[in-house]
Amino acid sequence: MTTTAPTPTPTGTTAPDEAVEGTRGAWLVVMKREIVVRALNKTFLVGLLVSVAIIAALAGFMAWQGSKTDSFTVAVPAGDATATAAVQAAAAVPETQGGGAELTTLEVADDAAARAALTDGDADAWLHPADGSAGGAGDAGWVLTGEADPDSTLTRLLTAGVAEETLAANAEAAGTTAAELTAGGTLTTDRLAGDAVDSQTLFFASFALALLFFIGALGSGQMIAGSVVEEKQSRLVEIMATAVPLRHLLAGKILGSSVVALAQNVVFAAVGLAALSFTPTASILPSLSTSLLWFVLFFGVGFLGLAALYAVAGALASRTEDLQHTTTPMTMAVMGVYFLTFSASGTFETVLSYVPVASVVSMPVRVLSGDAAWWEPILSLLVLAAFAVAALLVSERAYRGALLQTGGRIGWRSALRSAA
Amino acid sequence: MNTDSLEVRGLTRSFGDLTAVDDVSFTAPAGLLTGFVGGNGAGKTTTMRMIMGVLAPTSGEVRFGGAPVTRADRRTFGYMPEERGLYPKQPVLDQLVYLARLRGISTPRARAEVLDMLDRLGLAGRSKEHVEKLSLGNQQRVQIVAALMGAPRLLVLDEPFSGLDPAAVDGMVDLLAEHTARGVPVLFSSHQLDLVERLCERLVILKSGRVMADGAPDDLQRAGTLRHRLVTGGDAGWVRGVPGVHAVDVDGPVALLEVADDAALQRLLATGLERDGVRELTPVRPTLAQIYREVTA
Repeated sequence: MTTTAPTPTPTGTTAPDEAVEGTRGAWLVVMKREIVVRALNKTFLVGLLVSVAIIAALAGFMAWQGSKTDSFTVAVPAGDATATAAVQAAAAVPETQGGGAELTTLEVADDAAARAALTDGDADAWLHPADGSAGGAGDAGWVLTGEADPDSTLTRLLTAGVAEETLAANAEAAGTTAAELTAGGTLTTDRLAGDAVDSQTLFFASFALALLFFIGALGSGQMIAGSVVEEKQSRLVEIMATAVPLRHLLAGKILGSSVVALAQNVVFAAVGLAALSFTPTASILPSLSTSLLWFVLFFGVGFLGLAALYAVAGALASRTEDLQHTTTPMTMAVMGVYFLTFSASGTFETVLSYVPVASVVSMPVRVLSGDAAWWEPILSLLVLAAFAVAALLVSERAYRGALLQTGGRIGWRSALRSAA
Repeated sequence: MNTDSLEVRGLTRSFGDLTAVDDVSFTAPAGLLTGFVGGNGAGKTTTMRMIMGVLAPTSGEVRFGGAPVTRADRRTFGYMPEERGLYPKQPVLDQLVYLARLRGISTPRARAEVLDMLDRLGLAGRSKEHVEKLSLGNQQRVQIVAALMGAPRLLVLDEPFSGLDPAAVDGMVDLLAEHTARGVPVLFSSHQLDLVERLCERLVILKSGRVMADGAPDDLQRAGTLRHRLVTGGDAGWVRGVPGVHAVDVDGPVALLEVADDAALQRLLATGLERDGVRELTPVRPTLAQIYREVTA
């Protein structure tokens, strides 16, 4: 009976043959809903915005911190050319050697004026010969007086400045020059391998990646578990189970939540990179971008497996209250990865970079540090993919076994057995 | 016109040592409303879940249209589970269309049909509301729409009338009548025996996982113990002495009797006429509630 006249539309006159299209596209319908529902979820959106704001603020702080130059005013005895020269030498210490500070001199007529300048805050420190004689110190050396202890950076710079000036003066007295005396005495650093990413940046990057993983995996994982148990608790799943094969339901959910989790991380990474380009660390952007690309790839593959396991955690629960219990192993694993990866180094880090899920963070960090050979991320990705496939296969079975069982929490074993 | 019937053969389901459904067989014929009656824990829900394939039977089979039921068949069945639930935070229309899409119905078609049914159940204009904002009765109506959309070829409804006000019950009955008119078999469970008696053309009574009675209510009533009501001119205590007559209850001139056969009935009448006269002698058809109590006793 294929009544084609659409008006009036009596209830349920869709011809049965029309109602039964194939089930093939069902996973796509499920996936679309997962994405739409999640993307419009207020909690999710607020969380995303807050995270983006935090990343931007953090980068802004770093930029400010990096561009900030220390400036000091140093009081020197009026007419003391050596003291003035020492301050200038200190100001000339390049940034790469811990210098770059802005130093100004303030000539003071006598000790009383110097003390007044310190007390009034007109000067940060007072550089004067130890024996009190003007026009160059004797063997007694120099004194840097502050209202309290002088600033450590200033002390360090002036120590170098005074030493340089004294060296120059003594050299001249001995009939030679400072340059001749120090010739061949420079020390520069070099590295055997890798790009120029210093350890501090590396630590920060590994911390950021671990955090990205943590937020993405835990947030989206909990969401997929919650959405599974919501359907189970309400028995909606019984209606859906009669309409589509359960594996379509699972596939749609995993893919949907993976897309959301991945998109979230791409947004974070993009915001982070954009913000970083305004900071002095912009020089590491190329290597950081490569590392981030690996991270996104690893996360995408790894999260497929995690999402599947989280879906089972949802199916093992009977009500939302059970979730905390059934997702505990997953939460522990994700937290373990978070803590281990951002603090790992050396051989341990190398091992972690091949252990599935931990490798999502560790391998990109090793790529960034220039520690990994070109084939290492590829091999590690294959290991991760194998894990994801195994997790998907086992989860599909456990999900089917647990989803339609009611009454209390279900164990993995019982779930796997009932799916037979 | 649908001519396929639902047939359940020897369906059994055990949970550990407990046999929740024990060798249950019955037919829900095409175009008829079949009532599924039984106390709590009688196995109604378990049987329905097995029919829908949500639960695997320990043994036995479910047949539809003369052949074992397939996944493709089940996709065309409308099902209303016992515990109600929908996505609480999703608008009514959105989730109904989603459920329809899962059954392979196109979005425009699903929208039109859903809106029409919501209208008929008195929910017009509330299609954009979140389900959690609706009253329980209205959530129930949304659930009904979920089961009835897409021209199902079989309806399996677990307690569809619970929680509905009388007007909604009537609306629901009309909706179901449309489906039986198309030849669709409808199997529904209920605790409301008066409602089942009013609606059903067929009845299956379940107790402790077993079928205690199965047939048309009329047949069941005929098969049930027929009683007679006798009203005499004086005290009716004498009926206890009539052979072939069992007095269920005697209250002054009124007696409720079980009469063995026609000869006994004639004896009863003759004796009555001889004594104080007979004002009334009528057969009393047992109500469904009586039959239910009798077969599940």
